[in-house]
Parts: sequence; structure tokens; C-alpha cells
Amino acid sequence: MINRQLSMNESFLPLDTIPKLFLKNVRAHGHRVALREKDLGIWKRLTWSDYYEHVRDFAMGLKALGFEPGDKVSILGDNCCEWLYADLSAQSLHGIAVGIYPTDVAGQVKYILKNSDSKFVVARDQEQVDKVLQVKGELPLLKKVIVIDMKGLRRYKDPLIISFDETEKMGRRLHEQMPNFFEESIRSTRAEEVAIIVYTSGTTGDPKGAMISHKGMISMVRGLSQILDFRSSDSVVSVLPLCHIAERMFSLIFPMYVGYTVNFAESVNTLQEDMKEISPTAFLNVPRIWEKMHSNIMIRMQDAIFVKQWVFKAMVPIGERVSRYKLENKPVPRLWRFLHWIAYFTLFRALKNQLGLLQTRIFVSGAAPLSPDLVKFYHSVGVPVRECYGMTEMSGISFMPKDHEIRVGGVGKPIPGVEFKLGKDGEIFQKGDSVFVGYYGSPQATQDTIVDGWLHTGDVGQVDEEGILYLTDRKKDIIITAGGKNIAPSEIENKLKFSPFIKEAIVIGDRRKYLSCLIQIDLENVSNWAQNNKIAYTTYKSLATHSEVYKLIGKEVEEVNKHFSRVETIKKFKILEKELDPDDEELTATMKVKRAVIEKKFKDIIEAMY
Amino acid sequence: MDQLEIKNLTLAFGGIVALQQVNMKIRKGEIHAVIGPNGAGKTSLFNCISGVYKPIEGNILFERESVLNRKPHQIASLGIARTFQNIELFRHMSVIDNLLLGRHHRFRSGPLSGIFFWGRALREEIKHRQKVEEVIDFLEIEKVRKKVVGTLPYGIQKRVELGRALAMEPKILLLDEPTSGMNVEETEDIARFVLDIKEELEVTVIMVEHDIAMVMDIADWITVLNFGSKIAEGTPSEIQINSKVIEAYLGEES
Repeated sequence: MINRQLSMNESFLPLDTIPKLFLKNVRAHGHRVALREKDLGIWKRLTWSDYYEHVRDFAMGLKALGFEPGDKVSILGDNCCEWLYADLSAQSLHGIAVGIYPTDVAGQVKYILKNSDSKFVVARDQEQVDKVLQVKGELPLLKKVIVIDMKGLRRYKDPLIISFDETEKMGRRLHEQMPNFFEESIRSTRAEEVAIIVYTSGTTGDPKGAMISHKGMISMVRGLSQILDFRSSDSVVSVLPLCHIAERMFSLIFPMYVGYTVNFAESVNTLQEDMKEISPTAFLNVPRIWEKMHSNIMIRMQDAIFVKQWVFKAMVPIGERVSRYKLENKPVPRLWRFLHWIAYFTLFRALKNQLGLLQTRIFVSGAAPLSPDLVKFYHSVGVPVRECYGMTEMSGISFMPKDHEIRVGGVGKPIPGVEFKLGKDGEIFQKGDSVFVGYYGSPQATQDTIVDGWLHTGDVGQVDEEGILYLTDRKKDIIITAGGKNIAPSEIENKLKFSPFIKEAIVIGDRRKYLSCLIQIDLENVSNWAQNNKIAYTTYKSLATHSEVYKLIGKEVEEVNKHFSRVETIKKFKILEKELDPDDEELTATMKVKRAVIEKKFKDIIEAMY
Repeated sequence: MDQLEIKNLTLAFGGIVALQQVNMKIRKGEIHAVIGPNGAGKTSLFNCISGVYKPIEGNILFERESVLNRKPHQIASLGIARTFQNIELFRHMSVIDNLLLGRHHRFRSGPLSGIFFWGRALREEIKHRQKVEEVIDFLEIEKVRKKVVGTLPYGIQKRVELGRALAMEPKILLLDEPTSGMNVEETEDIARFVLDIKEELEVTVIMVEHDIAMVMDIADWITVLNFGSKIAEGTPSEIQINSKVIEAYLGEES
């Protein structure tokens, strides 16, 4: 099908690289909107042709600055159009784009710049530039720091700095001199070339740079597009950091494949309102955000007037019942369909509108397991979220349930093009064209991960009789108690995190007599609760050490314990006196808990529980 | 070039002398801090510059022209904007409306064309809204642009007030204690904005400030007042070792 499409527009150009797909979109619908960015309060639109011009000018600018094939460009900053221009420019010139989390501190930035041998850095603003300049002495390869927003940088006299606009201008001049160069460069890109390096969030040790080729990305999207029905009329809001493979898929790979529109929020702070204005048709997020959205709803319901509370209490069970029929693939009886129709207009529609999800068809959660209770809740209110399984090393998603394969806790079947098998201990192995090329500069780690073409994921799972995969946990996180019982901590943790008062839970108990738990309370919701119960507090710490709060959390833990067998119950818990933070290396940039760091850091507290 | 020159300025309320023979020169494009203990006459000086008080003696020249016989709104039109020690915003209006008010003196279309709201009035509104949005972007207050000012936290309200002054597109900005009542982080934010105002917008800043650490960090020139008189002036490093200043702040050695 792909080949037929291109023969209409292009003369025998196989669509096997991202830049080639880009060129196809520009040719096929150059006047359509490709990107929207909110600037000065107004959504500005860019067509595919505008998009192309920017990428071409920036790429030629890079060339004018001395970019050679194989060079790496690191991109550092919050999501914006320029992020994608830089990404595509590097790929079009046979180079490699490397994303760095905007929340990384200078030391982490240095590590990635050095590890990836980056010659160019594209930095969003002064804050990011400062990080690079702080460590530039240790980066002999660094040639230029290209700055998107020059605000506050006038007094910087560093010759490394050049503005993004200036680079584009240089590129435009060079393009006039060699008008065919850029397009020919795109045409000569090859599928086997490494296109991007994605640094894994690294819950253990230093981050590793996974090299992903065009072939990997394109076989992934080819397989996935047979399951998710993406259309060129779709529209997404770019919410997760672009350096993460999940957002790279939604903001770069998918739109290149089907030609839909990507929207950029005005700033991280305004995301919720901007979501409402755009109302995206597809929405992907990590469990942390799904949890946050849920606890916001619950808190707002508690503060709502009684009529609204009553409607909520009456309508959610209707949704629950109907979603159960749907999950079991049974027809919904007429009476329930009617009740559901009422519930939709009295509650669900407004709720979805509040969340900015009214137009959304495709809801995906990935990167970590989502609590089963949350899955049920979202299905009840008409947000049929599907959990997928993916990883950087598989160029993104490798398991995605079809509509009738959505199960609570299940991640569906492998996408076309991916094979899998389970090891003796339940470890998941995967094979296919989308398996990554290797870790940059670390052949040993690559050999350990890819054996005979099989990717060792380090995740443990089970398969049911229908062939649907259920994830248990990370292999190294499985707790073996002193009694010899294997326990998956994430299952218990997710149950705990379903409570609006608990933001993070870390279950401890490997080689110990019983399970204990470190808990981080949700500051917003617990302080709200404290105000309603007239409990005086000043900071997070004063709340975390308050005896009433301990009672509240104790009750929540009791409740969760009821769902588990005796060995799996939490005997003791302790509320952390500080909030976990990526800056303190306790969380990854995607807000995943770094278990090893935490177990070391809070050793005294943990030991005190035994 | 001296953008603002204050010559022999004397201000008295009845028998109380608030300012006595003050001389100051403010160069274009600098951050000029005015410091001094409580009651030194810093705010009185600002009120003289912005035309709220009439001095009994002396002169204030803005770009070589006297501003003394002008009304406050005329002085504002010349390009002198200010913020206040205690926030003076319209609490029941949105951030955007407050900022648009900062541009009031630039609106040319009358009420009649405002009623029909097309042609000139519409074009003018778009132009001014654009400018206001640039200020919102500059001060990073996108999230609250449609919120009512009274519901916002104190630190943000201070930023909105700064925004209203910036929306006037001033040549000189008078900041009366921009960081009072703020925590360390908010103070750092404001310091960064003041530097950006100087460098990006090329606006001269005169600032009354009690946070000496911040003044020493960002000011190009400091004038010290005590009991209505100027006791010292110079660069931050000069002021730090000036014996008169130390005396005014810490008292005489006995």
C-alpha cells in the first residue's frame, strides 16, 4: 500500500525513512496544517510547506556551521516547533538527534552531551543555555549552542552561542546557492541509518543511549497503525517531554506516517487549558498523569454541591456496569444503554470536556503499569483507556490491545512485526525489525540485552489463554520475602496510589520478614483534607509528620491490605518527610521511582521498621 | 546621556522637610537603585518624579525638559511608568484588562467608534492586545491572563503590576520596592525580570529596594538617602565601603 501511494507522487522513492515520509507529506498536502503553537495567546498555524521550509533552512544552517553526516545534535528544552525542526534537520542530513530532558541538571546534561559526542546543542532558553555553558570546558567536541529564545542572553558574549533565527537565515542563503542539496540529502537517507538516540530514563545507574534506526521506527509505526486507527484529520497535543520515545512517536513518527496535526501548548503551566481549547483526538500519557487527573476529579467532587455529588454517585455505577459489558465484549442490554445515555449527558460529557478529552477517540497509557482501579474508573466514565507495553529499545510500542482485546491489567498482543516469548522465569523476550540497534558507545551492554536477535526486556509477565500479555513487574524489582514468596510490588503500590491522598508508594520487603512501605502523601489533596478537618499545618513536612495524617493514611493502607493475602499485606509504613524529586535523583525525568536510590537514601527509616 | 536629572529638589509638608537639596543624575539604560532607612524620603522622591507631589524648590528634567508643571497622566505619557509599594491594581478586573489599562493613554479612538467596534477601534484593540500579550509572555504570566487579579497570590499580583507599567512602553520605569513581601525564589525571579527589562527592552530602571543583597547584585549605580538628604552615591562596591552609609544603617559607633 505504501509503495502504491508513493508512485502517485514520487518516482520510486521507497518511504523507508522519517525524512522521506516528511517529504511525502509536504508533497501530498503542503497547504494543510501540520503544527499549531500557542504564542501570545493565539494559536498560530503552520502548514506542511511552512514546516518544510523551516526544517530545510535549519538543516542548511547546520551545514553552514560545519555539520557532517553522522554528527549528533542534542536538543535541550521544553517541547516546541523548533524541537521538531532540529530533530528532522539532523535526520535529513544523515545525522542523529539526541533529546535531553529539560529538567536535567547541568551534571546530567554534561553526561549525555559527552556520552553522545554531540557537536551541536539546540537549547530552548537562557536556563538551558546556562547548563551547557557551565560544563562547556569538559566538552571539546562542542561547536555551537543554538538558542531558540534569546531572551536574557544579550550580555552573553560567548562565541559558542548563535540564535536559531540566525542559523535559519544562514541556511536560507546557503539553500539559494545549492538549491538541490537538501532534497537530495533526504532522498539519500537509508533505512539502516541510526536516526535518533534516546537516553533511557535509567531507574538503575547512568542513562544509556539507545540508538534507533529509521527501519526500527517505521516498522513499529507500520505495525501499530494496523491496530490504532490514526487518520490524517487527527490532532494531538504534545504533552510529555519530546526526548521520551512515547512523545517522539505521537509528535514525530505517527504524524509523519499519517500526516496529522501536532499542537504545542503555550507553556507547561497552561497545558490543561490548552488541552481544552484543542480537544485532541488522541491522547497518550503516563500513569502519573492519569492518577493526577483522577484525584483532581475526586477532590473536586468532594467540594461540589450535593446535587452534583449525588449525580456523580448515581451515574458512575451505571458507567461501570456498561463498561463491564463492553470489556467482556457482550452486547449492552437496551435498558442499560438508555441509562448510559442519561449518564453521558448528565455527567460524562461534562467530565470529558473538563479534561479536554471530549473529541478523543484514542486513549493510551504507557511507560508504567496503570492501577486496575483506575482503568475501571476511566472506562466507567467513558474514557476507554488502553494500556500498552513499549520500551525505548523496541522503538516505542510493541504491545497494543485492539478494541476487543482491552482487559484490565492486560496490554494486548504484540503489534504486527513483533514476536515474543516468555523465559523460564517469566521474562519477556521480543524480536522484530523494531528492536533497537544498540547502546551508543557500549557494545557490552548491547550484547547483554540483545542475544541471538532476542531483546531481553527485564520485564516479567504472563500470557492468558487468549494470548493477551499481563505484565507483572520489572524482573529486578520482584520481592522475594524471607518466607520465599515472590511478590510483585507494583501491584500493591498501584492499589495504594489509587487513593487520592497517596502520591507515591514504595513497597519494601526483599529478603525480609514482612512487607513495609514508604509513602509520599499528595500535598494538594491532603492539605485540602487537613483544611476541611481543621488541622493546622505549615509545610509538607508538618503534614507528613502529623499524627492525624498518619491515621488517615493508616486507614487507606488497611483498605488496600484487604485485597491481598496475608504475606502480601503491608505491616508497617512510614510517610516520607520530603517530596521525591527528579532533582534529587529520586525520580527519573518521567517521574518513575528510582528504587535503588530510595532504598539507599532512606535506609535508616527502612531499618527502623524492622 | 543623562535621561533624568534631579536638581536641588526640596519637598516639605508644612514644617517637615521630606527631601532636601537632592541632586541625582540617571543615565539612559542603567539600573539605578535608591536605598536608605525608613523615612529617608525614597517614596517621596518617586512621588515627585511621577508628579503626585509638587516640590517647593528645585527641578526635575526628563530628557532636558522640566516635568514639574505637568500632571501625573501627562508625565506618564512622556514615558515615565511606576509601580507602587503596596499593590495598586484593579482587583476585580482580569489581568489582561489591568494591563490594557496601562495602555489607556495610547488609545486614540473615541467612545462612539468603540460602540461599533470596527475599523479603527478594532485595529487599535488588536494592536494593544498584541503588545499586552508580549508583556504577558515576557513576565511568564500566561497561566493567569484571564484570571481576576484579586484571586491571585501576592507574588503574582506584584508581577502583574510590573506588567501594567511595562505595557505603557515606558522609557523610565520607577519600581517602588518590587520584592517587598516575597520569598527568596520570587525575589530571584523579579531580579531576573529587572535585568531583562534593562537588557531586552532597554528601559532605564530606578528602583527603591530594601533587599540590599539584590541591589548590590543588579544595580549599576546606587544613591543613598537619609533624612531627606543624599548622603552617598556610587557603584555597589563603592557604596559597600562608604562610612556614611554604614553609619546610617548601623548607627554610630559609640
